[in-house]
Amino acid sequence: MFRVEAIRVPWLRAMDINPWPYLVLGLVSFLVLAPLSLLVLGSFSTARLPTDFSLAQTGLQNYLKVYLDPLTYELMGNTVIYVSGSVALGISLALTLAWLVERTDMPAKILIYAGVPMTLAVPGMLQAMAWVLLLSPRIGMINRGLMESLGLAEAPINIYSLGGMIFVEGLRLVPTAFLMLIPLLRSMDPALEEAAATSGINPSATIRKVTLRLLAPGLFAVMVYQAMTALEIFEVPGILGLPSRIFVFSTKIYAIIHSATLMPVYGQANALAMIYLLIAVVTTYFYSRMIGRAERFAIITGKGYRPRPQELGAWKIPALAVASLYLLLAVVLPFLVFLYASFLPYLQIPSAAALKSFTLKNYRLLATYGEVGSALKNTAIMVVVTATATTLLSFFISLVIVRSRFWGRKLLDQLAFAPHAIPGIVMGLAFVWVFLRLDFLPIYGTIWAMVIGFTTNFISYGTRAMNASLLQIHKELEEAAYVSGLPPWRTMRRIFLPLMMPTFAGVWIWVVLHAVRIAGMPLMLYEGSQNQVLAILIWNMWDEGYIPAAAAIGTLLMLSLLLLTLLVRSVGFRTQRADVGGR
Amino acid sequence: MIRIENLHMRYRSAQGEVDAVRGVSLQVAEGQFYTLLGPSGCGKTTTLRCVAGLEKPTSGEIGIGDHIVFSSRQAIHVPAHRRDVGMVFQSYAIWPHLNVFDNVALPLREGKKSYSGKEIEEKVRGALHLVKLGDLEKRPAPFLSGGQQQRLALARALAREPHVLLLDEPLSNLDAKLREETRLEICDLVKQLGITTLYVTHDQIEALVMSDVVAVMSMGVIVQEGPPKEIYQSPRERFVADFIGMANFIEGSVESPGEENGATGQVKTASGRLRCLLPSGSACGDSVLILVRPEDITLCHDRSTTQENVLPGRVEIVAFMGDSLDCQVMVDSQIVRMKLHPDVDLSRGQKVWLYLPPQRCRAIRR
Ligand SMILES: Nc1ncnc2c1ncn2[C@@H]1O[C@H](COP(=O)(O)OP(=O)(O)O)[C@@H](O)[C@H]1O
Ligand SMILES: [Mg+2]
Repeated sequence: MFRVEAIRVPWLRAMDINPWPYLVLGLVSFLVLAPLSLLVLGSFSTARLPTDFSLAQTGLQNYLKVYLDPLTYELMGNTVIYVSGSVALGISLALTLAWLVERTDMPAKILIYAGVPMTLAVPGMLQAMAWVLLLSPRIGMINRGLMESLGLAEAPINIYSLGGMIFVEGLRLVPTAFLMLIPLLRSMDPALEEAAATSGINPSATIRKVTLRLLAPGLFAVMVYQAMTALEIFEVPGILGLPSRIFVFSTKIYAIIHSATLMPVYGQANALAMIYLLIAVVTTYFYSRMIGRAERFAIITGKGYRPRPQELGAWKIPALAVASLYLLLAVVLPFLVFLYASFLPYLQIPSAAALKSFTLKNYRLLATYGEVGSALKNTAIMVVVTATATTLLSFFISLVIVRSRFWGRKLLDQLAFAPHAIPGIVMGLAFVWVFLRLDFLPIYGTIWAMVIGFTTNFISYGTRAMNASLLQIHKELEEAAYVSGLPPWRTMRRIFLPLMMPTFAGVWIWVVLHAVRIAGMPLMLYEGSQNQVLAILIWNMWDEGYIPAAAAIGTLLMLSLLLLTLLVRSVGFRTQRADVGGR
Repeated sequence: MIRIENLHMRYRSAQGEVDAVRGVSLQVAEGQFYTLLGPSGCGKTTTLRCVAGLEKPTSGEIGIGDHIVFSSRQAIHVPAHRRDVGMVFQSYAIWPHLNVFDNVALPLREGKKSYSGKEIEEKVRGALHLVKLGDLEKRPAPFLSGGQQQRLALARALAREPHVLLLDEPLSNLDAKLREETRLEICDLVKQLGITTLYVTHDQIEALVMSDVVAVMSMGVIVQEGPPKEIYQSPRERFVADFIGMANFIEGSVESPGEENGATGQVKTASGRLRCLLPSGSACGDSVLILVRPEDITLCHDRSTTQENVLPGRVEIVAFMGDSLDCQVMVDSQIVRMKLHPDVDLSRGQKVWLYLPPQRCRAIRR
């Protein structure tokens, strides 16, 4: 068996202790527990800045301030509406699409099977920006078009609203929910529904009394998972809510720290982050319980022929229309809007004049503008180092968890999974404390701060993937190599690594795809051009009104993400179903 | 009553087309227990599903009772939930989100006919009582054993008092002992209710024990149909004889056909002349296959006792099976299997004479 071999420290050897698991446990504990404990400590700090924190200046003031403020309750209300609204929209769309492709004779199913996962390639931030370009009251093309054609005095739709946030986030939740629902529908024994038909129960009652009831536990788990995603995301409520000062948890914490008018009060941000964190942890706990229950229903499946598809008849066209409309709204339109805006000298609604003014100026600007170059370099280094570090660290953690008899392996497993429950913005805040307080790590304001923050966040995914694939590599496969006369290092090279390679590549690419697009945590750790990454650059350009330039970068980013996703899918790295969720 | 006429079913799938049923016609009389028997993949389930309305046949006609439920000519296709059937699935398809009582009650609550709460309760209790599940009403379905699930599936199918009952290998998921018990119980139950039953199985014993009529299927067609005894004793094709029970086949050609009506005639084989039952209308020189069941062959100790139908052989394999002694005897260059009383004393290599009673040797055309 391949094990991390003991370091040759004579006295440890003598005591029969292998120091590797301790090293791994120590590192993971530091990464996870240091930020969390500073987050908790900081929530009691009465000093305004982390650097001024001392145990002498503590108290409950932050909590009192936060919890006595009626705005906090408005914030909670907003969050509840936003999360439940977007989950309801996202799940019903995803369920409709999944049912259409799995159980009906809808034409052009391949469009959905291939198209829906592609929408994952559109980062949340760009998706939200695209909808601002379409639906903002001032510059939104659809609004302007409607106002002109219908002669309205005011814009009919305002994307800077809870409704707007629900719409955009709802669309974004669809692909992950779709990918989770497909296997759920497939694993259901069609005989359960056929039994209803042969018992004289009509199709609509069958759907209500049998199909939906059977799906309920799994569906509920998907909903909880999606609620976590919506709760955690920063970019969509950030782009759509901040301008009109409609806050949810993630954006409020950001706003406390990055207020333009007030000095930041870190302690209050921490106090607010504590309930946010609590909600996220409870939801995660709930989710894992749910998964356990859902398995109880995973019962006897039949011989594996698909049931006869439901004939849609005259409904074929509306079904196809719904499916195409979704793809239009989720990828095609955002991409086209970005493409269009990137060619404009200044923002204007589509017209002959606009088309005539098309220019490549924005793209030329990108090539000459210094900040773009440095942001690209920062992003490349940050993303590659993060992906590599996450892959390696996850591998070592999983090796201890799956292959050793180390006493702390359960603890290690839980520690590595814990960041899954921590929203990115909270993680960012916590790491601000770590880097400002622990001065033996002089990396505040560098890209290395982001590397550490992201790595901590992503090991929860990385270890899940590694655990699963290590468990699948039976020891016998290696033992068979030994008894065939292969020495250990050859066994590792010829058997173990080739078998693990797809997982390594899968985790690495997953991390790249996510790290490059997330703006939340980097925004918390951002200090200036020395650690500005692409996501922040786009955010800042947008914020400062350089919209066509932001559109040009956005177009290029979207295009490369689309190509990368397409490549990944065609090469055949099927990312695990529950873990494909983008931000 | 179930009537199927010239049923064809072609599946179109990504792998290509499959002709699962190719011209099946049959008629199940009122109250009859009719079994479709055949190897896996021969189209039994497909036929049953067409009757239930779960598949739409490519062509043909199906009638249940006085109603035509499918006819390609008249463009009739009654959907499954409007057919008067009850069906037990091979996987039982017990709804896991409901308890025992509700599994049976759901068809009554959601069906076309509406019943009062009290009627439903009565009917459910009655059905559960029939299958001896009366005391498990409240138990959630996932906590039932295989045998209990099977009974529950039966109760659910019967609760609506359907005109016909369709059963798809209902015993194949049970262990051997339970299968034997349940076989008889199902048989008793449907006889007692007098319900018309179409039963599907690949197990010959089940088919022989339970049915009024057995139809042997192969590759989408019915090869032979008849009462169990007839199917077993006078198979008309090698496939049927092979599939049901064990059989020895000896090739030969007719030497002298007997008189009409089941009389015996002489057949010349590689090991000598054999007298056997010939198919009617046989003529001199027809090549035939003589079929003898292992249990019909006896030993005789010297060949002088009977002159006819005695073949010399050498014992090759003797297997003690508890209730019988199975042996294989080499006759010329052919192995003949026989089933003897366990007390018979035989050893490997021993020379023996086999007697093949003429009334038990059945020739079929090749
Ligand atoms: N839904 C289907 N799609 C394609 N082929 C099928 C389907 N159902 C059954 N078949 C094929 O039709 C043939 C008959 O199947 P079936 O009726 O299930 O056989 P049996 O029940 O006798 O074992 C088989 O060759 C099977 O592979
Ligand atoms: Mg079958």
